[in-house]
Amino acid sequence: MSSEQLLNLLLSFQPDAPELRQKRDYDSQVRSFVNQVANIPGQHYQKGADTPQDVLELLNPEVNSIAYIYALHARIFGVGESKQKGIIPEQLRPGGSIWNKMEDFLQRFDPVQIRYVGSEWRRLMDCIERIARLMGVPGAAISPIRAGLLRLDPLSGTFTITHLQFIRLCLETRSYTAALPILDNYIHSLPNTLPSVIRENLEYSVPGANHTNSGEYIHVRSGHTEKITLPDIQEYYVLGAMAYIGVHQFKKAMQFLEHVLVVPVSNNSANGLMLEAYKKWVLLSCLANGSVKAPPRTANGAAMKQVRTASRAYEALAEAFAQMDNLPKLKAQVNAGKDLWAEDGNTGLVRELVDQQLKFYVTRLSRTYSAIPVLNIATNLSQTVEQFTQYLEKLINAGELNASIERTNKGQEMVVLRFFLDPTEGPQAKTETQQQQALFEQTQRTNLLAEQVQSADYRLGLTKEYVEYIKRQNKKAATAGGDTMDTTWDDGMEVDEDLMGN
Amino acid sequence: MASSVELSPFFQQKKANGLIVVKDPPKFDLESYISNYDGATRIERLHHIGSTSTYLAVDAYRTAIAEAKRGKSVKLYLTLVEEFANIAPNDPLALVDTAWAERKTREVKEEQDKLEHELKSYKNNLIKESIRMGNEDLGHFYYACGDYPNAFKAYTRMREHSTSSRHIADMTLLLVYVGIAQKSWISVGSNVAKLDSLQLKGDEKTKLEPIASAVLGLSQMCGGNLREAAGHFINTSPIFLNLDSAAGIVWQREVLSANDIAVYGGLCALASMDRSELQTHVLSNSDFRNFLELEPHIRRAITLFCNSKYSACLEVLEGYRTDYLLDVYLSRILSAIYSKIRTKSIVQYFIPFSCVTLDEMANKFQLTGEYGTIEEELEDMINSSVLDARIDLVDRLLISPQTNPRYNVHADALTMAENYDHTLRLRLTRINLLSAGLQVQPEKAQTKEAPHGLTEGIGASLRGLGSRILG
Repeated sequence: MSSEQLLNLLLSFQPDAPELRQKRDYDSQVRSFVNQVANIPGQHYQKGADTPQDVLELLNPEVNSIAYIYALHARIFGVGESKQKGIIPEQLRPGGSIWNKMEDFLQRFDPVQIRYVGSEWRRLMDCIERIARLMGVPGAAISPIRAGLLRLDPLSGTFTITHLQFIRLCLETRSYTAALPILDNYIHSLPNTLPSVIRENLEYSVPGANHTNSGEYIHVRSGHTEKITLPDIQEYYVLGAMAYIGVHQFKKAMQFLEHVLVVPVSNNSANGLMLEAYKKWVLLSCLANGSVKAPPRTANGAAMKQVRTASRAYEALAEAFAQMDNLPKLKAQVNAGKDLWAEDGNTGLVRELVDQQLKFYVTRLSRTYSAIPVLNIATNLSQTVEQFTQYLEKLINAGELNASIERTNKGQEMVVLRFFLDPTEGPQAKTETQQQQALFEQTQRTNLLAEQVQSADYRLGLTKEYVEYIKRQNKKAATAGGDTMDTTWDDGMEVDEDLMGN
Repeated sequence: MASSVELSPFFQQKKANGLIVVKDPPKFDLESYISNYDGATRIERLHHIGSTSTYLAVDAYRTAIAEAKRGKSVKLYLTLVEEFANIAPNDPLALVDTAWAERKTREVKEEQDKLEHELKSYKNNLIKESIRMGNEDLGHFYYACGDYPNAFKAYTRMREHSTSSRHIADMTLLLVYVGIAQKSWISVGSNVAKLDSLQLKGDEKTKLEPIASAVLGLSQMCGGNLREAAGHFINTSPIFLNLDSAAGIVWQREVLSANDIAVYGGLCALASMDRSELQTHVLSNSDFRNFLELEPHIRRAITLFCNSKYSACLEVLEGYRTDYLLDVYLSRILSAIYSKIRTKSIVQYFIPFSCVTLDEMANKFQLTGEYGTIEEELEDMINSSVLDARIDLVDRLLISPQTNPRYNVHADALTMAENYDHTLRLRLTRINLLSAGLQVQPEKAQTKEAPHGLTEGIGASLRGLGSRILG
């Protein structure tokens, strides 16, 4: 095969071609094209490498994404084979020519085409991770992997094994902020195992169709991910929570851990990740709310009981945290369990607890006082006025305390902490517009969630179990003669949206 | 005299145990007060006054001992004399009259034998009415001896031999009566409820109703349910004032007088009702007015409270604190009732203001000694969310917080939406996991271990993960 033939073949698929407007046509075209490209022997791509005639230069990653990804893989394989084992060739190293091409591709590829070559996409992600690790710079892989995930699915809401690899990388390199764009997206679907009848040859179900839910094209057979196990998902959430802890977003971290706690449980026995999650959850619940709430209702009761018996020390800590009139107790508890916290890897969080308790103490004063001399508080805490004033000013400047510091001169110099009684005043105040904006954003999130729920409902409706259930119901209805229960609830959603829209 | 009584070992010990000891002279006259009562409650009240008030101790004990000597309870007499000896050792009555005690013990024993013998012969004759009366006599006897549990048993045995609903009613009243003497308020309550279910008619019913409501009020009050107690007291019919004896007991003399009802009812109402309720249910209640007239200062206190003159109202009540501490039923819960009235007054007083100086508050509400300063008291009230206010310690003000309903509604809506959102996400996660067939499987290696080993097993399996994360 000459390089011209090769190029013709690679360019033979043009996604914008007018005859591909119908999604089914597009689908069959892509499939045959993928078959052809996959059968091109690797050495054909090597011709003219690193010259202007290089296929990687001639192909546009945005338009010819399928061809490009095969070419890229062939080139990586070629470069890797020619060198000695164990040494990464120069071109593949971060900053090298091929590495740059990979990075560029992951930011620009056509997401619809890549839906058809899931395993190639996955191999590329693996490759980047492996190179970065072998080079000892795992951090270099974070941004390309993130770009690849978000390009394929802008909401990154279908769980893949790459999610887990990504968060592992982020934690290893302590790049917590870098993880947030992925973590902030809710995992609304897991790769499903729907029968191929539903997916293929239907105008609205083929991978190339305009899906709102990425679960439709990322599934067990699409090749984007390996088989997912429960510990994988739990690990993702636990590690994600740790990243949130790293950036001090305690509430989000707490909510992340709740996803670990609600997993279905057979035989009423919890697993280790649930225990780990619960311990952290107790501490985070204190940091986010000031006290421990009840665990989510969806969690299995017996399993919760089990993890609670194993985390008594943490609950005692939380209890001491909430006792604002006995501040030294927490410190005593913290010291008593020092080895335990260290063993569980929670020392940092526990230390945070001690730091934050004072903040909650001061915040609680705002429920009783409108103004209080700093001297009074400082004496209670056996600190000096200057020290404590500094601490308060820090809190106020960080917007964590809705108050101000005043210095009066009535008879003697006095520093006063004055709380804002009206919620529309002070550093924590929100204007009406801000509030409206927040409500508006929440409405959008809720609407999005409603769509995700509907698609989950749709998927559940297609499972064998549901079909059998319906069969039984129909049989029952036929014998009993009553109406079947109305299981559609779209109407309910409409009402909800209206309420939120007001 | 008074000081030596105060320093007597008896009161010193009471003080050391943290019990109530009253030094100030009360407003009432002991003799005229006690002349309102008859029967067992008379000695009991005297005993309570004697053991609480250092001012009246000697007089009260003297009367009580004389009274006890006329009764049948040797045990009560001995207790009284022993206590009195600790107060005034030189008083002639402080010596035990051994001859009397021995004689009385013998007499009591003889009477008991006689009554039991009689009851036995009635039982042999199988005449129901006689057996019932035999039991009743035995009950009365035990009651007089101060043996309340046996009295209760004897009265209870009357039930199976009662032939009319009247008999049952009498028996129930006797049980209530013993219950009050034993201060077992739960049994009093349940027996009064039985009275209700008897379906008596006409005269009987009108006669029993005021007793039932007064006694129920008493039992609720002693149980600390002030609002219910107030309800029962203020609905007590004025027939109670001159009621004939029921089941051989003159209730307004042997249990609680009309004055008591006025005081108990008035205080309970003050502690548990708001101003409009007090106005409609208490002051304009024509039935309860009959009682209130007996205790004009309670009426005045309620009127003052309704007219928002809280400090005057509290002043009136403070003036009678000593008297009420000497009341056998009130003394134990009086401070709770008073502090309730006080906090309510403070809350009501503050409602119309946006800001009051602390000095003004301290002025209006004199400290009762429970708190060191008015700030501490207000602080406590705010912390227990009784009072919605903030304290400004700098300018010494009590400030009513501004509310911004519009802002709050927005903020609440947002929090609620976020919570629902999160809950829904958790459920969706769970459904997804279920539909993917993923769930926690019990590990075989761990199920064999004891529950204790399980947690360790989990911990061990996690340690690997933890080190990986931290590494």
